[in-house]
Amino acid sequence: MPAISVSNLRKTFQTKRKAAGIRGSLRALWRPTWQTVDAVRGISFAMQEGELLGFIGPNGAGKSTTIKILTGILHPSSGEASVLGYVPWRQRQALAFQIGSVFGQRPQLWYHLPAVDTFYLFGKIYEVEDAALRRRIAFLAEAFEIEDLLETPVRKLSLGQRMRCEVAASLLHKPRILLLDEPSIGLDVVAKQRLRETIQRMNALEGVGVLLTSHDAGDIEALCKRVIIINHGEIVYRDKVSALKRRYLTVKYVDVRYNEQLPPDFSLPGVEMLKVGRYGAKMRFDARATPVEPVISGLASAGSLADVTVSEPSLEDVIRTIYARAEAENA
Amino acid sequence: MIRHLSFLMALWKTNLLSAMEYRISFLTQMIGMMLNNAIYFVFWIIFFARFEQINGWGLVDMFFLFGVVATGFGAGTFLFGNSVRLSSIIAQGQLDYYLSLPRPVLLHVLASRSIASSAGDFVYGLLSFAVAVVFSGAFSGLLLLRFALACLGAIAVLIGFFTLVQSLTFWIGNSSLLTTNAFNAIITFSLYPITLFDGTAKLLLFTIIPAAFVGALPAEFVRQFDLGQLIQISAGAVLFLALAVLIFYRGLRRYESGSAIQVRM
Repeated sequence: MPAISVSNLRKTFQTKRKAAGIRGSLRALWRPTWQTVDAVRGISFAMQEGELLGFIGPNGAGKSTTIKILTGILHPSSGEASVLGYVPWRQRQALAFQIGSVFGQRPQLWYHLPAVDTFYLFGKIYEVEDAALRRRIAFLAEAFEIEDLLETPVRKLSLGQRMRCEVAASLLHKPRILLLDEPSIGLDVVAKQRLRETIQRMNALEGVGVLLTSHDAGDIEALCKRVIIINHGEIVYRDKVSALKRRYLTVKYVDVRYNEQLPPDFSLPGVEMLKVGRYGAKMRFDARATPVEPVISGLASAGSLADVTVSEPSLEDVIRTIYARAEAENA
Repeated sequence: MIRHLSFLMALWKTNLLSAMEYRISFLTQMIGMMLNNAIYFVFWIIFFARFEQINGWGLVDMFFLFGVVATGFGAGTFLFGNSVRLSSIIAQGQLDYYLSLPRPVLLHVLASRSIASSAGDFVYGLLSFAVAVVFSGAFSGLLLLRFALACLGAIAVLIGFFTLVQSLTFWIGNSSLLTTNAFNAIITFSLYPITLFDGTAKLLLFTIIPAAFVGALPAEFVRQFDLGQLIQISAGAVLFLALAVLIFYRGLRRYESGSAIQVRM
């Protein structure tokens, strides 16, 4: 039985529309016009216990709305969902004892107090026995490397330090599933890496399943084995991260430098020249149409090679491609 | 019940810790509110220096009245501080935090904030009651018990009324003007002698703006035991709390969350 199963889930919101200016405001006052916005359009997916599943999409794609439905914060307009056997919007309190959630834009730590005070409050909220809570705080402090931060008021922590404390707080009651909504938002590269490592460590140590939403493809690439891509409330791709890269990472970029001057009309068959300089060139080719071997041979026969770098597009480029295709299909 | 009480105690302790982080600010707000209340009461002292009574109410009655209202309001909004800002919490989508935790949402949200100045109201109310006892010369254990019951009734009606009005935000969106007016109306009318009102005005003070349950009725009950008044106070408390819970949870089904960046103070 999957830890999370979602079937044909829909969520619509009614939003008021108003033309700009005083005239628009007056018209909206007497005759408001309402627009139905489909935030989530009949999505279905499942997540196994202990799995690290990435849920990725641009702003407004429906990621956070889905997470909020799965935590019981929002009621869906239609469809079904089950989290650890509970229907989130009907059994919210019972479910909350079994899951942890972190929303990047909605801190749960008390701003003026040290994180340890919120930890003890959460102990009472989750009914963790005092001695067990103290042991758990010590364990998480070590795992998240936050021993020195626990007694510092949260307002004085950096964003990265605060986010590690946030995730630690959400694990105090040993949840079976962790729902992370944009946990790396606003973090620098180093802070993101440390956060990813701690999430991976907790998954390995306690088998906690993680459903991670992000619009940073790097989070998904580093953490998740499987990914669901959502756009305009619909799933546009679902598969293993490795399959995603295999399927879409067919374009290769080559940066080559020579010890001697290149002819100005330097070219290779099936290769698009992006920039040709006196001693080097940047180019790209589709490995499905043009095999790698003749390209490399052609580069070697063109002169004395000083350096050559072959790279693939980032996962972000891949996702951009998928979004663009989905947009084109919708249009 | 014990589970919820233990949780509430932990929440109140955290509120107090948070308020005490800025001790000077806390003390300034508390003392400032006591002075504010005292200056307001000077008006009644001057008034009763010229007119001994208004329809049977004298200065001692006013001390009892201020004692009950200030103690009830102070304790109520210190323990359930979010009752006066529930409207903005709903409108800004800040209920998400409470909905993601395994506790009753309404109880959790109401008790998650203590208003520092309310401690000033509370202390001022106790002082006012003490002065009333001295002037009336009627100190007894039963008087203290009646005062405690009267304050509990006032707290229940006030918190119930605030919650009820602010929960209308689920239907009407931003309702800050309505909630501000309702807040001012119940506090203002609860601080006047009930004998000033009759007919429709009196009916309003027991229904739409239940100020009579917060001020005059419990204050009269403190002065002299009356079973009928005790029943009325209890019925008012239960009715407004029940209405508040009903309206809030009805509205919660319409809750639409939000994406504003938030901070937990």
